[in-house]
Amino acid sequence: MRRQLAALLPDARPTSEGEGALELASSRVDAPRLISATVLEGSGPLRARRVFQAAVAGFRGFLDGTQRSLVAGYLAGGAPIVVGRAAAVIRERRNRRMHTWGAPLVEMRLYAPHGLATPTEWDALRQIAGHQLVDISAREGEIDGEHPLALRDAAFHRVQAHREALEQRLAERWCSTEHDRLFIDGGISGSDTVAVSSCTVGVVKSHRTLYAEGVALQTILGLGRSERSSVFEVTSPRRTTVASWYLRLRDPMGRDPMWGLVRVEIARPDPAERHAIGDRADEVSRWILAEASPLALPDARWDKMVYGIRDCEEFLRAVTQ
Amino acid sequence: MSSILGRVVATERRPNTPHEFHFWTALDSPVGIGTIVRVDGRDAVNGTVPRVYGIVTEGFSWTDLASPLHDVMGFDGSPSAESLSQTDRAEIRLYTAAVLRHVPEEPLQPVPMGTVFLADELDVNIALRMDGYLKPGARTGIPIGVYRAGGTDAPIYLDADFLIGPEAAHLNISGVSGLATKTSAVEWLLQSIFTHFPAQKGSVAAVCFNVKGPDLCYLDQPGEIDDADRALYEKCAVAPVPFEDVQYFAPYKSDGVSLNTLRSNEALLDNVTALTWGLREVLQYAEVLLNKDDVDAKADALIDFIKENVLDKRFVDQMLERPHTVTSFADLDAWFKDVLRALEKKDDQSWRTHHVATIRKVRNRLSNISLRCKGLVADDGATSDLPFGSFQDRTVYVIDVAGLEEDAQDLIFARVVTKLREHLEKRDLGVQHVVVFVDELNKYAPGDGPETYVRKMLLDIAERGRYLGLVLFAAQQFRSQVHRRVVGNSGTALYGRMDGDELATPGYAVLSPAIKTKLATLEKGQLMVRHPHFTQPIFVRFPRPSVMRGRDGVSQYPAAQAPSLHAAVLRTLRTLDPSLTLGWLQDVTQLATDDEILRARNDVVRARPGDVRREFSKHFRAAVAPRTAVRPDAPSPLPAAPADDPYGF
Repeated sequence: MRRQLAALLPDARPTSEGEGALELASSRVDAPRLISATVLEGSGPLRARRVFQAAVAGFRGFLDGTQRSLVAGYLAGGAPIVVGRAAAVIRERRNRRMHTWGAPLVEMRLYAPHGLATPTEWDALRQIAGHQLVDISAREGEIDGEHPLALRDAAFHRVQAHREALEQRLAERWCSTEHDRLFIDGGISGSDTVAVSSCTVGVVKSHRTLYAEGVALQTILGLGRSERSSVFEVTSPRRTTVASWYLRLRDPMGRDPMWGLVRVEIARPDPAERHAIGDRADEVSRWILAEASPLALPDARWDKMVYGIRDCEEFLRAVTQ
Repeated sequence: MSSILGRVVATERRPNTPHEFHFWTALDSPVGIGTIVRVDGRDAVNGTVPRVYGIVTEGFSWTDLASPLHDVMGFDGSPSAESLSQTDRAEIRLYTAAVLRHVPEEPLQPVPMGTVFLADELDVNIALRMDGYLKPGARTGIPIGVYRAGGTDAPIYLDADFLIGPEAAHLNISGVSGLATKTSAVEWLLQSIFTHFPAQKGSVAAVCFNVKGPDLCYLDQPGEIDDADRALYEKCAVAPVPFEDVQYFAPYKSDGVSLNTLRSNEALLDNVTALTWGLREVLQYAEVLLNKDDVDAKADALIDFIKENVLDKRFVDQMLERPHTVTSFADLDAWFKDVLRALEKKDDQSWRTHHVATIRKVRNRLSNISLRCKGLVADDGATSDLPFGSFQDRTVYVIDVAGLEEDAQDLIFARVVTKLREHLEKRDLGVQHVVVFVDELNKYAPGDGPETYVRKMLLDIAERGRYLGLVLFAAQQFRSQVHRRVVGNSGTALYGRMDGDELATPGYAVLSPAIKTKLATLEKGQLMVRHPHFTQPIFVRFPRPSVMRGRDGVSQYPAAQAPSLHAAVLRTLRTLDPSLTLGWLQDVTQLATDDEILRARNDVVRARPGDVRREFSKHFRAAVAPRTAVRPDAPSPLPAAPADDPYGF
């Protein structure tokens, strides 16, 4: 890509080989938030519940995606040209071994601000990327948006959105052809199809946003191993409402309060089935607890990550590098 | 075409080279150490897509774990907690293969990325360059066994030109004792050679020295083999039958009567011949029996004098009491006594420049030989030998030296091999090629220790035998203890199960750790083969030889009790004249001593006369002069009394 840019845009400033990925350098980090949520399970406030009975295998597929974005060069005006690669895969468990379900999705796009590029530069970029060229120009009136770092952040988020789109595409394919359960790394509310499917379970590892306040928050942070919170509702103006609960995969003794803590998302039950949401949460929790072994080490997030998701990441690392 | 087995991989840390490459396979692939594979390259070079053949020499496996500790943590330190895990970790099987052949051979490049297939029979032929000597009309392949991997059963052939000569020759086999590998492999290979040695290359026979137990004593008797063996025989196109023509030779025991062999059962004696040598045969090889301390320059000079002027000649010296014709140890001793007596009479210290002490020493040493090798060396000069000059094609000549002293073994070995060489040089042995099988080579040709006649001779065979058709098949437990020039000149080497200490010696440094591990755990009937055409060692299976095993033979044909003198002599003479009876023999020899009877037997065996009875009887005086009893004349009848005789009765 750098060679192509150098050939077609001799005035562009190339970057060095060692320049880091935007995923590591992004200046945009979501601020921690606490959001209160409506409890769906029982009539009282959110509380801790023990997941009884043994963990049991319930998932057949595991879905995850990866992204990687790099600044390939700079336009003559100083705006960054970003190359972003997004990928997603479902790994299917057959006879205790992981295999690829269908075909993985791997796509690469080029990100640059149309407004800051000369017509010649834009034509050259289009010649390189064709339809995969994405404009990251600042919105009208957004003065800071022309800041090169802001443009890099914008590119980074576009790549992130691209990765989520690929994940959703695969998840929708699964839902349309399979009936077995799919473990999705991350939330499921981004896609209407996926969010209402009975075969998808989303598991969120990051907790920049916690759906509890006050006593409820203390209850969540105080969950013990194999304990879950009451089921609550996660709503968002741009996303489908889903049912969710927190689950502690590992003993947090001596660790930080979020050690081994995940948030589970499943489709919101019909009002008629709402009374059974607790049993459903227990069942799904047992499935997730069953995936706590083998450990996802040496990944740093091994306390929250299940092995099937690590396997997806390893697979995507192999096919995208 | 077989399905894809794996894919070639190369990394900066683990690159491929023209002689080695790496590939990965599925976890359930039938690849193992020693498996032959074929790589089909992706890109054409000079218009040809390269193919590379290799043999797996090392295997690796790992998972995505960074540390074993992670696995311990995953199971909470309890190995039995595995059932909690729903998923098996990602795992890889990576193999390293040594290149056997590139097709095309040039340009020689690193092994390309490509797909890996299990080699089929045709691939094996190409990989091992056997296609060069398995061509119709010019076939010189000798099956050594069957390569077996992943459903492929391919016979492996040695090139007769490189096994029997003249391109290369000799075979060396190593392996721990007691696994019936070394001797069995040689027996099987001899069967294979006798079946497949090309007619256009001439005739071949084998001379085997049975140095221990009954191993080679029943080569003409059928042995037990199973269906798996029969399949291997069929694959190698060798009939599972015992050797058709086997001749056994064994010296007598010290009693001079019974043969010193475990093959002494009456039912098996048809093809057993006594091996006895006289003074002439032994003196030529005095060096074998007399060590450096025995034979200094002076003694050597006297022995040469005897060989030149005394042996088999009428020797006359004024100083001696009588003329001597020395043909036996007994004659030689008489000659020595005469010489020493003459010196004593004259009170002289030397005779014909030889000092009396030297004469006494040589007399002592030479006279001792007939005692040390009693049974083999006859005092009376009698000789019964291998049929040098009339060796038969596809015949095994077994010389049983298992029950002999070391000196006698050395003497037999040295003389037989030297005679074989002499006859092969003169092209009058009867066959063009002779395979000599020697077990316990580390005893006869050790890597260290004093220089012996036998070792020098083995070195000579190893280095020059192939030009003559004299081929050495040698076996030993520890190859590292055999003289380097002997094993180094062996074109073909076989390895059975090896001892770990032996594998740690420098001679095995070229083998990968995995190959060494396989060698240390080889089953019965498996061999690793090195051959000039094979660029890497190959593992093969060979069938049990279809001959009776030694211990089975001993139980089925127990050794005969020591026979009486008469029975033993009669058995020998009957080979010349089956009409002889024990009664006749006892009548003829009733006044003879044991020595006289044995001497008569030896003379008859040596002369092989037409009329055995007459020739044998000539050695003995009659017990009673034959005389016909004469009836005495009857007395005259008394005159009849007169009828009127008053005194008559």
